[in-house]
Amino acid sequence: MSLNKNMRVVIVDDYTTMLRILRNLLRQLEINNVDEANDGDTAYHLMQKNPPDLVISDWNMVPVTGLDLLRRVRADAKLKHIPFIMVTAESKTENVVAAKQAGVSNYIVKPFNADTLRAKIVSVFPAMA
Amino acid sequence: MTQSPNLQLPDAEGYLNRVIGELRTLKAPHKNTLVSVLEYLSDHIRLTRSEIGALKSGSGNAQVFSTTTDELEEIVTETARATNRIMDAAESVEKVAATLEAGPAGTLMDAVTSIYEASAFQDITGQRITKIVRALQSLEEKLASLTSAFGPLEEAQPAKPEGDAALLNGPQLEKSAASQTDIDALFASLG
Repeated sequence: MSLNKNMRVVIVDDYTTMLRILRNLLRQLEINNVDEANDGDTAYHLMQKNPPDLVISDWNMVPVTGLDLLRRVRADAKLKHIPFIMVTAESKTENVVAAKQAGVSNYIVKPFNADTLRAKIVSVFPAMA
Repeated sequence: MTQSPNLQLPDAEGYLNRVIGELRTLKAPHKNTLVSVLEYLSDHIRLTRSEIGALKSGSGNAQVFSTTTDELEEIVTETARATNRIMDAAESVEKVAATLEAGPAGTLMDAVTSIYEASAFQDITGQRITKIVRALQSLEEKLASLTSAFGPLEEAQPAKPEGDAALLNGPQLEKSAASQTDIDALFASLG
């Protein structure tokens, strides 16, 4: 299944190393239109200025967590339709349930591999799956 | 004997000892059992105070918690630095791979992808270390409240390492470490 290589992706993580990993893995999928944010608040303002096609966000960040960001996005008429993938080390059932209830499109547990990333991106775009 | 209206933990041992002393002067038939129980409580308070005093001054450093926190944060910094260097190298390989024929390029790209995937260890270990730092900070606060509740404690003086053991203090924290230039200058100054 092919990916839309022109999609604009916002990646959010408080670890710059993880942002770099995500950017590199996305580049290997030929997705180069990528913006970064180190926390949920910055990401939200970035999205309001220029809504992306996809958000890939960590959960455990301060002061605005990935779950807070997800809720803000889903409550925002301009952004609520955007696919949102949570990439996190939080893997308890209650985390996944909370994210699902908040409207997450898919969920990746760290550490992850490139195949998983690709599969999850494909899965959140129904036309591609 | 009159009871203090605001009996504090530091007073409790002395208060119990006074009660024990007064009980012993009585001619009540069953006083020995009560005296034994109170002596046990008094000993227990003394032992607990002593253990908290030792813990407060343990590990040879009154600031053991903040030092340990610094050490842990240094691990996060160092692993981040190393991971970035690894990724610098992987990105260079990726650029070269793009110029090669499909076969070797594919092999190199697979290897580069594996490096990117494995580099996530820094994020995972960083999060775990952050949790440990928070647990240490919480422990430090609880210990401070406990020592405060027990009043002034006699801090046991930790044994200082001697001889060669006293030379083992590394690795140094970056903010206090001597640079190679400092070492070279020192080495040269020693003749």
